[in-house]
Formats: sequence, structure tokens, C-alpha cells
Amino acid sequence: MRYGFFPGCAYKTAAGYRESVEALNRALAIQLVEIPDWNCCGATAVFSINSSVALVLSGRLLALADLHGFDEIITVCNACYTTLRKAIHMMEHHPELITEINKHLKTETLQLKRLLPVRHYLDVLANDIPEMRWRKVKQSKSDSDLRVAAYYGCQLTRPWKDQGQPERPDVLEQFLERLGVTVIEHSAKTLCCGASHMIPYAKDCAPLVSRIIREVRKKNGNIIATICPMCQFNLDAGQGRLNIPGTPIAFFTQIVGLALGIDSKDLGIDKLLVPMYKISDNKE
Amino acid sequence: MDDRRLQLKFYETHDGKDVLKCIQCGTCSGSCPLSDKMDYAPRELFALIRDGEMEAVLRSNTQWYCVSCYQCMVRCPQEIPVTDLMYILKQMAIEQGISPKTAKMPDLYMTFYREVLKKGRLTEAMLMIRYGMKHPTDTLSNAFLAVKLLKRRRLEIIPQSIKEPKRISYLKSADSERTETK
Ligand code: SF4
Ligand code: SF4
Repeated sequence: MRYGFFPGCAYKTAAGYRESVEALNRALAIQLVEIPDWNCCGATAVFSINSSVALVLSGRLLALADLHGFDEIITVCNACYTTLRKAIHMMEHHPELITEINKHLKTETLQLKRLLPVRHYLDVLANDIPEMRWRKVKQSKSDSDLRVAAYYGCQLTRPWKDQGQPERPDVLEQFLERLGVTVIEHSAKTLCCGASHMIPYAKDCAPLVSRIIREVRKKNGNIIATICPMCQFNLDAGQGRLNIPGTPIAFFTQIVGLALGIDSKDLGIDKLLVPMYKISDNKE
Repeated sequence: MDDRRLQLKFYETHDGKDVLKCIQCGTCSGSCPLSDKMDYAPRELFALIRDGEMEAVLRSNTQWYCVSCYQCMVRCPQEIPVTDLMYILKQMAIEQGISPKTAKMPDLYMTFYREVLKKGRLTEAMLMIRYGMKHPTDTLSNAFLAVKLLKRRRLEIIPQSIKEPKRISYLKSADSERTETK
């Protein structure tokens, strides 16, 4: 399987996402090759303005991945994930759209010939890596006081309904438990983080962040594992406006790295806004 | 365009006619994280579409407050693709040159859109700067945050782009074409 990695625009500046993904790739010998000259998927913004442009953006990325011989596109961002799947879904139902897209791509000597599957890196880690390899990498159990609340946000399970239950998925919990991480059950795992509305409407979005953090603390979690740069950013930076004890918001890859015994320096943990040493046991 | 023509146009879009299946149960409104900020919650908006109040619909902030969380869509008992219809309404409002009273989200999306059309990639700092020229207070309130990000080496100041942005000038022709909202 050749994984074509689509980092997306928010990956590079995300709090230690790149560091931790690269550390895991090294430790587990995962070949994640960046799709050369990838472009932005357009996210919610472009589809809101003009779907032709949105489709051409996804089409270009799919054509590039195919041209370079990849079998699958791997994303690390929920928005990239659902935007690409949405475009593919439209193309599958209206094949004439592919002809339209190709008219544009032709000027760049690109052609969209097939629609590659799009998957999230979580899916790769949880399902593609043989148990043996995890066992080989994992150091003897490190004592940890982390009680992790998995947080999926919206656009992994919805609207698809094929990544576990759209409102109460558990792939991340099951995966983390396999690695010996303590996870907690809670009911905020697919609530909205505010997405890009956080920029103009930070005040309106504060209650959205607050209800997620409060729920996690009430259920005795002391750290949240995210799978999307925007979710991570909104929950991490959004706490600055709230008057509640700080709860660190990590990427799931950082938590996996810690569970494997990888040094926190190699996981970019110092880049979180609410620092990890803030883990406190005071329940609300 | 008058209300009637706009309504027909909406019904002609791919899932537009689905609003006729709506049983006004309110599940969408009850599931929506931001419905209390909307001029009309989704259920109400669909009632207005059926009543032909298209101008009011397109002028409302509802579709612009939609964050695309798809919560309504997976819950709707009539399997109406509520979120997809919100996208259609946003595109229609832009096509018709109708913007809501608060233009923040259209401005933000437009800024994003233009950056990607030009560069093929988005640099978040550029988005903040350009959007901030129109809405300075939104950006200023984030200035402290910017300093914190800078300290953690998380602010990308060099604009990102694909290798030869000229090669994607066809995005501009796609922009002028717009496949009617499918
Ligand atoms: S959930 Fe569906 S049927 Fe119920 S009001 Fe909303 S759109 Fe109509
Ligand atoms: S997709 Fe939009 S309309 Fe539906 S619940 Fe989410 S924010 Fe509300």
C-alpha cells in the first residue's frame, strides 16, 4: 500500500502534530510520502462560495496522487477528510463533473482518471499496523496519570456514518486502550468546536468550547486527544476565554507517542498552549 | 430575481426539492450548535423556503452561521441533506449578490477563497491579516494569541503556495463558470 500524505494547510503550524506524526512514522516504519505539490482542499470556505472551484481543487489533488502512484490519500485533518470525500461523493454521483474538472486540469497536463480512497491517519494507525510491530516498539509500561478523553469533532464520522457511530464513535478509545492508555467515556466527543467561526465569532463559540471541556472534567478526564488541527486549536486557544482550570489539548499522535515511550521532546508537546504539566486532578 | 424565480432555482438544484419532505419536527434546530445565533433556525428557514420567502431566506445569517457539523443531517428523520442545502443557499446568496446584515462569514470565506485561487494553498496568518483589514477588532482580539503562537514557533509568516501558482490560473475560469449548484 502506497500512502500519499496530504498534510493540508494547518498541519505545519499545528501544535506538535508534525513532530508527533513523524516520530510515529519513524518508530513504526510507516512510509507516509507527501503528495508532491499538493494544494489546499478548499475546506468549508470554497464549497460555500463556488462548488466548481471546490471540485477542481479536490480533482487536482486526486489527479496528483494518482500520477505519483499512490494507492490512498491519507489526511490528518477532519476538514480535509470530509471535503475530499464530499467532492468524491459528488463526482461518483455525477460523472459529468469529472469531464468538467478535466477540462481545467488539462492546461496543467493533469488528468483525473480514478478516485482514490481518502482515509484519516487515525484509521491507518488503528487498523493497518500489525500488532507485532506495536509490541516491538512499545517500551515497558510507563506509569502515566493521563486519563484521556477522545475527541473527534464533527467531520470524521459525519455525514458518512461508516467510521463508527456518527455521534458516539469509539475507534480512538479502542485504539488507545490497546496501547495501555487510560481513556474515559464522555458525551462531548463529537460536539462542534466552533470551526472557522471562531475567528469572527469567538464570543459565540466560547460556550461550545466550554461545554466540551466541562463535560470532560466532570467525567474525570485530564487531557483531551484530538484528531484535527482546527479542533485542537479551538479547544486549546479557546480556553483562554474561559474561567475554568486549564485542560491540555493534545493531538492523539502525541498521546500515542507517549504511550510508546517516545521522549516528549520529540513529540512537540512544548507547543501546546495549555501546557501538559497543568494536568491536575481537581474535578469540577 | 423575484422570490418565485429564486424558489424555482433552489428547487432545481440537486437536493433542493428535499425541503418539501420536511415534517417541521425541529430536530435540526435542536441539534444545531449555533441555532440561537441564527435569524431563523434551520426548521424555520425551510418553512420560509416553502412559503417562497426567498429574499428573506437569502438575506438571513442562518446559512452563514452554519459550521457544517452535519449534526442535523445525520439526525433528520426525513433524511434531508440539511447541511448540503445550507451550502446551496450560501452559493445562491453570493450568485445573487445578496449578503446578510453582518458580512463577517462571507468576508472570511471570500478572503480564504481568493488566497487559494491565487496561491493554491492557504497561509493562516495571511487569512487573518487580510480579513483583519475589513474587521480589525476580530484580529486585534487575537493579537495576544499571536504572540503566544510566535513564541511556540507556530506562526507561519512566509506565504505558502504551490510550486508555480501560475499553473492553476484555470481556477479563475472555474470561478467564472460555476457549475450550477449540484
Ligand atoms: S430535522 Fe429534517 S424533517 Fe425535521 S425540521 Fe429539520 S429538516 Fe425538517
Ligand atoms: S450542519 Fe449547520 S445547520 Fe446543521 S446542525 Fe451543524 S451548524 Fe447547524
